[in-house]
Amino acid sequence: MNIKEPIVSLNKVNFSYGQQSVLQDIDLSVFPGDFIGIIGPNGSGKTTLLKLISGILRPQSGNIQLFNQDISMISRKKLAKIISVVPQDSFVTYNYKVKEIVFMGRIPYINQWQGETISDYRISRNAMKKTDSFCHAEKGIHQISGGEMQRVYIARALAQSPKILMLDEFASHLDLNYKYEMIRILKDTLREEVNCIISVFHDLNLASFCANRLILLDKGKIEISGTPQQVINNENIKKVYRSKAHIIQHPELAIPQVIM
Amino acid sequence: MKMNQLKSISISMIKIVLVILFFSIINTSGFSQQNLFPVTLTDDSGADVTLNEAPERIISAAPSNTEIIFALGLEDKLVGKSEFCNFPEETKNIESIGKMSPLNLEKIVSLDPDLILSYGGFQLKDIPRLRELGFKVLVVQSESLQEMIQGMQLIATACGVPQKGSDLISRLQERINHITSNIKKLSHEKQPNVFVGSNFDTIYSPGAGTLFHELITLAGGQNIVGHLQGWAKINPELVAQKEPDIIIIPSGIMNPEEISKIKQDIITHPGWSHVPAIKHNRIYAVNEDLFYRAGPRLVDGLELLYEIFTGKK
Amino acid sequence: MKYLPEKNNKNLYGYPNWRYKAFFVLIFGFLSILIVGFIGLNFGTISIQPEKILSIFWHHETDNSLGLIIWELRIPRLIMAMLTGMTLAGVGGAFQGILRNPLADPYILGVSAGAALGACTGIALQYTTGLYLMNFLPVFALVGSFVSILMVYLLSRKKSHLPMTDLLLAGVAVNFFFSALITLLLAVSNREIHSMIFWLMGDLSNANWQKISLVTLPVFMGSFLLIFSSLELNAMALGEEEALHLGIQTEKLRLKIFLIGSIMIAVVVSFTGLIGFVGLVIPHIARLLVGPDHRIMLPVSALIGAAFLIICDTIARTILAPTEIPIGAITAIIGAPLFIHLLKRRNDNNEY
Repeated sequence: MNIKEPIVSLNKVNFSYGQQSVLQDIDLSVFPGDFIGIIGPNGSGKTTLLKLISGILRPQSGNIQLFNQDISMISRKKLAKIISVVPQDSFVTYNYKVKEIVFMGRIPYINQWQGETISDYRISRNAMKKTDSFCHAEKGIHQISGGEMQRVYIARALAQSPKILMLDEFASHLDLNYKYEMIRILKDTLREEVNCIISVFHDLNLASFCANRLILLDKGKIEISGTPQQVINNENIKKVYRSKAHIIQHPELAIPQVIM
Repeated sequence: MKMNQLKSISISMIKIVLVILFFSIINTSGFSQQNLFPVTLTDDSGADVTLNEAPERIISAAPSNTEIIFALGLEDKLVGKSEFCNFPEETKNIESIGKMSPLNLEKIVSLDPDLILSYGGFQLKDIPRLRELGFKVLVVQSESLQEMIQGMQLIATACGVPQKGSDLISRLQERINHITSNIKKLSHEKQPNVFVGSNFDTIYSPGAGTLFHELITLAGGQNIVGHLQGWAKINPELVAQKEPDIIIIPSGIMNPEEISKIKQDIITHPGWSHVPAIKHNRIYAVNEDLFYRAGPRLVDGLELLYEIFTGKK
Repeated sequence: MKYLPEKNNKNLYGYPNWRYKAFFVLIFGFLSILIVGFIGLNFGTISIQPEKILSIFWHHETDNSLGLIIWELRIPRLIMAMLTGMTLAGVGGAFQGILRNPLADPYILGVSAGAALGACTGIALQYTTGLYLMNFLPVFALVGSFVSILMVYLLSRKKSHLPMTDLLLAGVAVNFFFSALITLLLAVSNREIHSMIFWLMGDLSNANWQKISLVTLPVFMGSFLLIFSSLELNAMALGEEEALHLGIQTEKLRLKIFLIGSIMIAVVVSFTGLIGFVGLVIPHIARLLVGPDHRIMLPVSALIGAAFLIICDTIARTILAPTEIPIGAITAIIGAPLFIHLLKRRNDNNEY
């Protein structure tokens, strides 16, 4: 595959809920190796954009392509083998065990008649080990903490063997050490397994840390997209977030950080 | 020689006559039995029921039919009765098959009956099943005095005692005729207005088509709900409007205290103080079994009503 | 029941042992039903000794009264109880999965109200027209249930979607509406009330071989179809979006489970009336025993439901013999305290 070919491309995408317009005129390309961070204030359409790319919502106009295929042409099952999504918050109705939850990530690959194979189990196990949730494998999902749950969801998303990994604020419940851990896992995953990662961030600093490209949304339009250095500066933050912020350079890495 | 011939001929003739007499005596009971069975009867459900011989094991699934069985003197053939069958006293010695509806099929089957007597109504849905399983079911559904008499004859024939049936019926008919002929002498105005009501929170009163209504009319009364059909739920205002001369309370096994409580409720019922029955205290409690059960005691009920109406009670 | 050993990493998922263990559990369940059924055959208005039952069985005796009782009355009843219990518990579990609601029961989507209205209408018609309709009541009930299925479907559809809240609301609305009509029917009825209420309370005493032949196929076919949707039902527990992300066509799945479950319930309820609590409580017991994975939980729920209803039916026809207690009363008396106990346990331990 030509390294310049985009994996995900959105072309003049518009989306509204009924009469309410949520996203206008979105143009976006994601290339192999990208870690895209979607940032913006509340109500700017971040989650909606994520839902459009993951196929939950259909745009009113414009088109979305995955690997050069129109997303509306891809069956839901096939889509599940390409994209997996880590939700921000999720309530599981029944107290499944952690290992059962992670195993559900294999559902798109399991043939109804033949059932699961040993590799399905191996993949699930590895996903748990990678996210350090293996020790909780036998526990019920209702019995673990918020942070442990988030790692379990990431494990499930990894078990789904996606080409595109999408996350909606993956670190809100995580302790500092786990934040580092998750960033490391995601970067490893990006290198070894998936083609790209797209994540919504509320935490600008985390976004700056993880992503190589940021998309700043403001009231449904892309205000600016580019590297963290290009996007996170006083001017943009002031304009979009309508508040004061101090941007400083990270002491060790060449990335901008916001301090209050 | 002629004398001897005569003697032997007459002796043979006497022997022949004796033999004929002998056989006819032996066969009298069997002879009349042979005439009675097999018999095919059409019961009140329209089905044809064929009995090849007199039933020895009878189950009665309704109090009306149980009373008929006892009246016909067939009680020693009764092997099962519904739990509501309580008359006469001897019924308590007979095994209960449970409630009248739904019929307990297992219990009925286990008693191995030759004949099952049903009253129809709610039991109709269980009867096809019983017939499927090979049991003979006779439905006797009587909604008038005449139908009760016909039903009695039907049962008597089915059980091989048609003569007893006829006898019983003619005696009952006599008693009925005695009352109806007396009534003819009464003029229309002398006929008391009668109101029958039980539970006085929700008043149900028997209208046209019910046994009670028929008995009231035959006994010379005017049923104030006679213009309504069947058992009607009525508004207390109707009682105030019609001003009955007699109020009848059908009661089951209520004790005197209960009955006097109900009488009190009636007397103090709002809006009824001007009703003649209340003013002249002509409120009577009667045994409801005499009026609800389509059996021979209906005539007892008729006589009781007649005595109440003509002021003899 | 932990069917997977904990310490051994390699066997974390117990592969392939769990399949054999699941198979064992199902065989055990099936045998339990046979045993419970056999014990049930002993009881009733009269007790029949086990040896006698075996001989009646072996020689297929139907010429004596005991043989008749066993072959024509008790065995059909037990089989009908088994099929009904299977259906109620199985569909209850499936509905609890698809609606993501542990309080769902098989009647929540309106089928039962339609069947009840159909049956009550049939009873009322019988008394007003004088036609004898008792044997056609199942047809009335079936028609009524299909009317309610259609109504729920049409109400909850939104241009070819079947959103979940709408399905639930439509079911509740249809339930209310039909229940109101039934109440009206009861209010204007007089002698028929008795028959109507009896039908509503559930009644297995009319079971016969012909009815069993009509019910068996839909129940087994439907059960298989439901069990085959187990993986998808598991995914539904994660959430609507999460299930979509896993490739599940949630709306098609909802429609499928709704239709299959409702038809199964319609067929069974048309013959047996409304028997409550089984569909609500038994799936919870199944989850407590084998966990919430629908692949094992649905079959176990069906088996426990079958055994439970056989036991309840045996109690219903024995305890006050020769009077028969409506089976709905027995399931409620046993089911309600059981449910309360389960709730308490769930709160205390945060189980299943």
